[in-house]
Order: sequence, then structure tokens, then C-alpha cells
Amino acid sequence: MMLVQAKTDALTARSGALTVSGSGWLGAARRDAVARLAAMGLPTKRDEYWRYTDPASLTAATPTPAALFDAGDEAPAFDGIDAVKLVFVDGVFDPAQSDDPALAGVEITHLSQAEGVDIHWARDVYGVLETRGQTPVQRPLATLNTAYATQGFLIRATAKAAKPVSFLYQNRSTTSDALLHHCIKLEHGAELTLLESGPAAARITAVMEVEVADGARFHHIRSQGRDHERRAATHVFSRVGAGALFKSFTLTANGCLTRNEQIVELVGNDGVAHVAGAAVGDGIFHHDDTVFMTHEGQRCESRQVFKKVLMNGAVGVFQGKILVKQGAQKTDGYQISQSLLLDGDSQFLAKPELEIYADDVKCSHGSTSGAIDDTALFYLQSRGVPKRMAQSLLVLAFLAEAIGEIEDEAIAEDIRSRLEGWLQRHEH
Amino acid sequence: MLNIKNLHVKLEEEDKVILNGVDLSIGAGEVHAIMGPNGSGKSTLSYVLAGREGYTVTDGSALLEGEELLELEPEARAAAGLFLAFQYPVEIPGVGNMTFLRTAVNAQRKARGEEELSAGEFLKIVRAKAKTLQIDADMLKRPVNVGFSGGEKKRNEILQMAMLEPKMCILDETDSGLDVDAMKLVAEGVNALRDAGRSFLVITHYQRLLDHIKPDFVHIMAAGRIIKSGGPELALEVENNGYADLLAEAE
Amino acid sequence: MDGVEVEVREGVDRETIETVQAMSGKYKHGWETDIEMDYAPKGLSEDIVRLISSKNDEPQWMLDWRLAAYRRWVKMTEPTWAMVNYPTIDYQDQYYYAKPKSMAVKPKSLDEVDPKLLATYAKLGIPLKEQALLAGVETPEGERKVAVDAVFDSVSLGTTFKGELAKAGVIFCSISEAVREHPELVQKYIGSVVPPTDNFFATLNSAVFSDGSFVYIPPGTRCPMELSTYFRINAENTGQFERTLIICDRGAYVSYLEGCTAPKRDIPQLHAAVVEIVILEDAEVKYSTVQNWYPGDENGVGGIYNFVTKRADCREARAKVMWTQVETGSAITWKYPSCILRGDDSQGEFYSIAIANNAQQADTGTKMIHLGKRTKSRIVSKGISAGRAQNTYRGLVSMHPKATDSRNYTQCDSLLIGDKCGAHTVPYIEVKNNSSRVEHEATTSKVDEDQLFYCRSRGMDEEEAVALVVNGFCKDVLQALPMEFAMEAQALVAISLEGSVG
Repeated sequence: MMLVQAKTDALTARSGALTVSGSGWLGAARRDAVARLAAMGLPTKRDEYWRYTDPASLTAATPTPAALFDAGDEAPAFDGIDAVKLVFVDGVFDPAQSDDPALAGVEITHLSQAEGVDIHWARDVYGVLETRGQTPVQRPLATLNTAYATQGFLIRATAKAAKPVSFLYQNRSTTSDALLHHCIKLEHGAELTLLESGPAAARITAVMEVEVADGARFHHIRSQGRDHERRAATHVFSRVGAGALFKSFTLTANGCLTRNEQIVELVGNDGVAHVAGAAVGDGIFHHDDTVFMTHEGQRCESRQVFKKVLMNGAVGVFQGKILVKQGAQKTDGYQISQSLLLDGDSQFLAKPELEIYADDVKCSHGSTSGAIDDTALFYLQSRGVPKRMAQSLLVLAFLAEAIGEIEDEAIAEDIRSRLEGWLQRHEH
Repeated sequence: MLNIKNLHVKLEEEDKVILNGVDLSIGAGEVHAIMGPNGSGKSTLSYVLAGREGYTVTDGSALLEGEELLELEPEARAAAGLFLAFQYPVEIPGVGNMTFLRTAVNAQRKARGEEELSAGEFLKIVRAKAKTLQIDADMLKRPVNVGFSGGEKKRNEILQMAMLEPKMCILDETDSGLDVDAMKLVAEGVNALRDAGRSFLVITHYQRLLDHIKPDFVHIMAAGRIIKSGGPELALEVENNGYADLLAEAE
Repeated sequence: MDGVEVEVREGVDRETIETVQAMSGKYKHGWETDIEMDYAPKGLSEDIVRLISSKNDEPQWMLDWRLAAYRRWVKMTEPTWAMVNYPTIDYQDQYYYAKPKSMAVKPKSLDEVDPKLLATYAKLGIPLKEQALLAGVETPEGERKVAVDAVFDSVSLGTTFKGELAKAGVIFCSISEAVREHPELVQKYIGSVVPPTDNFFATLNSAVFSDGSFVYIPPGTRCPMELSTYFRINAENTGQFERTLIICDRGAYVSYLEGCTAPKRDIPQLHAAVVEIVILEDAEVKYSTVQNWYPGDENGVGGIYNFVTKRADCREARAKVMWTQVETGSAITWKYPSCILRGDDSQGEFYSIAIANNAQQADTGTKMIHLGKRTKSRIVSKGISAGRAQNTYRGLVSMHPKATDSRNYTQCDSLLIGDKCGAHTVPYIEVKNNSSRVEHEATTSKVDEDQLFYCRSRGMDEEEAVALVVNGFCKDVLQALPMEFAMEAQALVAISLEGSVG
């Protein structure tokens, strides 16, 4: 079939100033992505997968300028967590601000250092998981990233890491346009926690590919930064082995456009994958969680827990799917997407799907949308809790199930305090 | 009535032997009790006799009035006169208790070549039997076992037994989860069904149910075998001394 | 009182079991009536559209409306978003009009209709004599009357109880008759709910619809009996394109039933219907369907391709509509009976059982469009997949910014029997105000082994046990059907699943 002209036009505009670099395996992977991209083009709002989010500003030739944001006296996210910190400024790694990337049992290499090497483990990950994630639904922005990203880290864990690795993304330019591509590989039995925080750029297109081998455990906690005008399209592609665990949580507070895609494949038996998100938005805020959970192995468990608190015209989107392939018996799949609309202007748009080809499964999804519960509010007030505090309490209670997906209590507390701060600043 | 010979059973999906040569013979009109510690294979025995999936019979036989049970489908065993009162009666949302009972009664009647009961006859019989078990109209109308208390579920099992009029009744831990009053009520229901043509196998952990349903014989089961058989006094011995001595004796 | 209720329900469930036992054949309506037919030439063109219009003695405005639809249709492409796969349909290889020769001169009453045709309906259990119908239970209220419009291929044979209905001011006739006799009503309302531009299949229907039913209930009238249309496809290679228009005026009420069957044939047949319902202030319509078109054989050969657009417009305050459907037939089902809740405080309900066995594919659901304030909707969908079938629930719940204080509750359950079938749920939820509450729940599971074993340990065989458990799973929907239909539906649930176990 002929590609719609608009898709080709968007690709030509978006990639005009970008060049494919590198030799060896990485260059080959990038050139392969360029070819795949040419056959796809870039998304337009007429695509079913972009039904609720207009990709125009993500595919435009240049980013819409975004005012810089001063977080005031709020401490940076995960500030109190002991971690190996790797800092990016406007999407470019800044060694001067970063820790020495040394952590027992963990290899940390910048993408540029792996380019000249003939044989590298990342060869089986870079662009590979992303390619797998293109069926049955295309994600051209991820392919664009694979083709042109030169910034990012390759992290391989062979044992249980003593502390997390933390990516800090600073933004100092109103027109920064970042492409970040990370590959993470956890070998059999390894365990790693990865933190990500900060706005990154006026526009960021990110891909993270995560290979979790049999018996390995991966925790990912992300706080996307409070810049109001930033735009983000992120993708996490993960492949989860037998008996392995993959957990990812994202806090989004502010940002005029965010599309977070999570593409998870449970390929081994007895794997566990949980993806969760808490999003709070006030005013010009469009937040889209798109999740595709594929069950291939038997007896796997998956959970999707997404909560959104919206006010003053903020828009929340959830597109989530559980695909259970034939033979993936004893699957336990759960999905919940809920929004709390604090005023009449906000919107919640959801498409929670189940596609199931195995019979011995237990899958369910729920989706709700509504206002704060007046009865509960009154009950709290009648017990002496001031209205604002009561509202905050109820909002936090609403978000609790998502935050509960974070295993590390100190990290969960950091997220919780950030949300409390946000609620205090955004009275309703 | 029921003759179990050298019954060996393992789990279908793993190599775990549960019954390791059970021999048991129950005559017409007799009441037998099986006692034993957790994991001794008591419930497995009842499930295997009723024909639940998940078990593999590796050896032995179980004859009900000379007919081999182990080769029959569960419904054929029921039609042959076997009844298992479940330890955990199953909830079936959307299916009315009356519908369920009537479907079962008529299916069995049909399998035995008897005429089906009309709606009127059936209703009359159910009402009468339900009354003695203190099962009210509401319980009959609700979906099978859904929202029933523990006692209600067990009484419902006995009601089914009364309606189906089996020859061989197996009560699997029918006393579990019941207070004394509920247990008495259930026991009375069972006792009312005792007669010369009907036999019972009562599986229980404790002596207390046997105060109400008096057994003719008591068997102690351990590690998938019957290790000792005797009269009602054996149950009292267990009550007083526990299983430890008996187990040691059998070693 | 308890006793009566229990006994009646008992009767219903027993009926299911008895029907299962009595039926040895898989599809009982698969025979055909041997009768001479008049066909329009194969294929679709403006000439065919003109021919259909002239066969129905239509006025110019109706012909113009059809031609506009046809001209639009030729520029449209067939939709592909549904989770159904079928070979390309050659729209030029179909007959668009087939009429029994004996109907060449329109009979004045059913007494004059060819006895062969009347026998067809008698064999289907649809007596066209004016008597209490649909053999079955005696309901506690005594005899119930049901008026029938019998549609055979492209034409309506006749409508029963017309006189008695006319006394109440109710108009119940074929749509072709309505176009001639009540043009002011038809012209005002046709296409006002499903515009001729709506979608590929609805536009096709607008161009070539040959017959169907028309209902008008005047203000403040409770229709004195249930109305029903029974659709029968008989001719080979012939599509059926009926169009139904129901107008329920202020404060009126009607319950409408629809049944469908077709002979077994190796070649798939096309059915593209449109149903439009207009409901005015304080009026209420119940629309129940038992769709039992020929599903094709075990290998997916033959069967009806069923592409249907059904929509109700609750145009004024407090209007109410309830769709209930039992979809057991058809090789392909593509059907989304929808509610436009325009009037304040209007209500829409959708109850559905969709069973797909063997090679059947069903993609069905509903749309609840909340436009008015304090509007309410409820969706209960039960999907059952067996064999190699694919069964998809697809739905939209939309709360517009002005639809304040509205409610939706959706419950979507899927049951899988066997490991080669598929069950899918594709809901769209769009909430644009915060005083409305939307709740969606969905589950997918297999037939519970413990429940089956429990039933079997009480003496039921496996098919009986499955029928019982599945009927339990569908209970919420079966209860929404009128009594006569509920019985037929329960029996169908059991029959449709034959051969799905073991």
C-alpha cells in the first residue's frame, strides 16, 4: 500500500537536519532503522494509535520553544538516594557533573565508546527490541530515535548492584531537541535499579531497551520534571525472561505534552511485569500512557496501574493492551486506568484493550473516571480535616495504588513528597 | 457396597504419590469414618472416587456394588449412586439453586431410566426437605452457593444428598468451618438419611462430628494408606492421644 | 409469589436442557423453501437502484434519496478496523432483489399469501395467524399477543394484527407500504438517525434496501402487544438489505422483537440492514434481537455475513431505549446497536450475548453517546468463544462536555471454551466533563473446571454442565429479554455450543 503522503512529508521534515553516524554494528543498526523508517513515515493524528494525542509537535522539523523552568527550592528528584549519577545537559552527557561510572557487577559505557568496537553485547539489544516492538503496531518515533540518537548509555549488570544508577536530565536551552537511547541488559540473576529524572529538553524523543534475562530483576523509577512547556515522547521496550521481574513507575507532573510508551514482552515462563504511572496536570497538559503487554510464556503475571489527576483543561489519555498469545496458559493479567477530574474542563480518554488467544487465563481490566467523592470529602471535613487537606488526602489516596508499585520505600517516599508539594502548589 | 483395593494415586502433573495402596470395604448400611492428619490423602481419596481431574490412578480398583467406578465419568458415578459432599462447595454465579438441583435430579433419573419429576412434584419435595434442614426459600432462589455462609453451604450439600438419594455418601470434612449448632443441624440431616441400603464414608479431622454421626468403623489414614482400623473407640483414642502414637506404631 | 417465580424460571431452564437433548442437528433452520422467484439482474448499478424503487412504487423523493446514497457508496471503501477476516466480497456478484413470483400481485391480506410461504414460517415456529404466538410458556398474565411482519428475502409477506393495532393508532407495516401510505412520517424520519452517509454498509443499504418494517406509536400510547419482525433469507446469492424505522412518539411505549434465520448454503450471503429508532419525550422502546442466521459449517464454509447498523436516538427528555441482543448465528457479525442520549435525563441500555463457535467471527458492541444532562447508560456484554472462533466486544462511551451529571456503567465479560479461540475487548472511553461518572469493568476467563466438575458430580453430562454454566454466565442478559425470547435464547445458547467440549 502507498504510504500516506503526510507521513512521508513529516519524516522528511523531522529528519532533514539529522545525519546517520557511526561504523560497525552500531552504524549498521542505525542504517537499518533509517530504511525501516522510510517504509513507515512518521505518525499523523489520523493514525488509530494517535487517536487521542496529536503527534504534530513531536514530528515537526524543529521543537516548539519551551520556557525554562525554575523549580524554586524543591530539591531535585531522588536527591537523597545514593546512586551513580550520570548527568545530561540538553540531551548531551556531561562528564564534569557526573560520577565516575563505576559500580561493582555493572558495566556502564557511553554509546560513543561502543561505536568502534567490533563485538559488543549491545548488538543484540540496540534497535533489536525496538524492531520487535513495531508489530503489530508501528512506533516510528522510536525507529527515528534508533536511527539518529548518539547520546545514551549501554548498561550491563551481571550481579546485584549495590546502588541504583541515576540519569539526571537538565535543560538549559529553550530550543533543545534531545534524542536519547539507552540499552540495559541484566544477565541471569542480576538486579538493578535505574532512576531517571528531569525535563531533558524542550523536546525529547527517548528509547530505552531493556533485556531482563531469566531470574533477573529490574526496577525503573522515573520522575519527568516539572517544566510546563516541554514535550516528550518516550518508549521503553522490554523483554522479560523466565522467572524474571520488570517494574517501571513514572511520575509526570506538568509538561504540555507527554507520550510514554511501554512495550513489554513476557517471553519466559513465570515472568512478572508491572508498569505504573501517576500523572498530575493543571491547565495545558496532555498526558498519554500507551502500554502494550504481550504474554508469551506461561504462568506470567502482568499489572498495569495508571492514575491521573487532572484540572483546568488538562487531558489524560490511556491506551493499554494485554495480548495473550496462544499457549500462554495460566496468564494473570490486570489493568486499571483511572482519572480524577477535579473540574469540568478536564478530559479523560481511554482505550483499555484485551486480546486473548489462550483459554486458561485470568485477565481483567477496569477504567473509571469521575470527580472527587463528595461524601468522603464531607466525612473528612466533619472529622475536622480542613477541606484543602482533605482533598489532598483523597487525591493521594487515589494515587496510592500506582505509587505502591515502587518497591523501594525511600524512593516511594520521594515520589510521594513531590506529589504533596505539587498538590499544595495547585490548589483546586 | 464400596470396595477399594490397593488404590495407588499420584498427581497428574507432578510425580507425587498421594495414595499408596488404600484398602477399604464398606458394607450396605454401614457408616465408616476416616481420620488422619493433614496431608494424609483423605480428601484426595474422596476426589478420586468422585472422578475429579488432576489425579492419575496408577494401580488398584474401586467397585461400587461390583461396578468399577474409576473408569466412569463423574456424572456416571453420580448416576451409579455415589455422592460427594464437598469440603469447599463450589459457587456458580447466575445458576439458581433450584435449577441446579432439578437439573441434577432429572439427569440422574434419566440416566437410571426413571421418569423425570414434573415442576410441581419437584417443588413439593424440595420444599419439604429444605424445611427440615432449615433452608429457606431465599436460599433456594439464590445462585448455587453464592453468598452462602459456611453453614449454609454445607446444609445445601446435605439437601442435594437428600434430593439425589445416593447409595454411597462421602462427606469430606463436612464439619470444617461449622460451629456446634450448625454441625448438629448437618448431622441430623445426615442421620435422617441413614438406612439399610445407604452407606456413608465420613472424612474428618476431629472426633466431634462422630459424636453426632456415630460410625460403625473408624480408619486412621497416614501417608496415603490406612494404617489402622477399628470400632468407634479408635476415634476416642485419637481424640485423647493424638495421631503421634498411632503413627509411631505403624512405622 | 416466590413459588410462581421459581416455577417459571425452572421451566425456562428445563427447556434449555430438554432442547439440548432433543436437538441432534446443529442448525435447525438450515432447510430451504422451494419456490419460484423473480430476481433483478445480478450486480449493482443505478439501474438496479431504479428498479428496486420502481418495484416498490416509490415516489420520486425516495428514488432520489437512494440514488444519492448509491453515488456516495461507489466512492466509499469497505471498513477494515473490525477484528474479522473474510474473503473480498464481490458486490457485483449478488442479487439485490429477490421476490417470490406469487407475490407479483400484492396480496391484500395474509390469507391470500402463497401457502408455501406461510408454511415456511409455520415450520420456523412463527405462525402468521392472529393468535397468541411463539409456542412456549403460558405466562402468569395469561395469553400474550405478538404482531408479526414476515420478511422473506426482499419483500414483506404481510403483517398480522393490523386491524387491532390500527384501533390503538399504531402503524405497523412494511417500510415499502409506509413509503406509499405514510410518506410524511417516512420522509421526516428516515435517515435522521442513521444518515445515508453514515458508513459503507449503511450507505449501501440506503441505496438498495428492499423492505423491512415500519412502526409508529402515537403520543401517550402503550402498544397493546409486542411487535416483531421475522427475517428469512431463502434465495441463493441474494443479499438481504432491510430497513426498519421505529418512531415512538411522546409518552409512548413499544417492545419490539426481531428474529432471523437462513438456509444452509456453501456460499456466504450478505446481510446489511439498518435499524433506526426515534424516541421522543418520555417514550420508551425495547428492542430485542435473537440473531440466528446460518453460521456456516465447522470449517467456516458458507454462512451469513452480517453487517448491521442499528441506532436509537433518544431525541427528547426522559426518552429511554433498551437494546437486547442474542447473537448466535452468522459467519461474520459486525454490529453495534447504539444510543444517542440527546434528551436530558434520557437512558440507554445495551444487553448482549454473543456466541462464536467453530469458525465464526463476531465483532459487536455498542456506542453510548451522552449529549444531554443527567443521561444514564448501562452496558452488559457477555461474549463466549469456542472452537476456532474470534469474538470481540467493541464499544464507545462518550460523555460530552454538556452531558453533566451523567453516568455509565459497563460490564464486559468473556468466556473461553477451548484453547484455539480468541476473546477480545476494545472499549473506547471518552469523558469530557467531571460531574459524570464512567465505570468500565471487563474480565476474561475460561469455563470454570470446578463448576463443571461440581455439576458432573451431581450427574449432569459435560454438555449439559457447560450449557448450565454458560447460561448462568449470561443470566443478566437473558433476564432482560421478554419471556418468550428468553426461552428461545437459552435453548440457542446450548445449541450454539454443541460440540465445543470434549
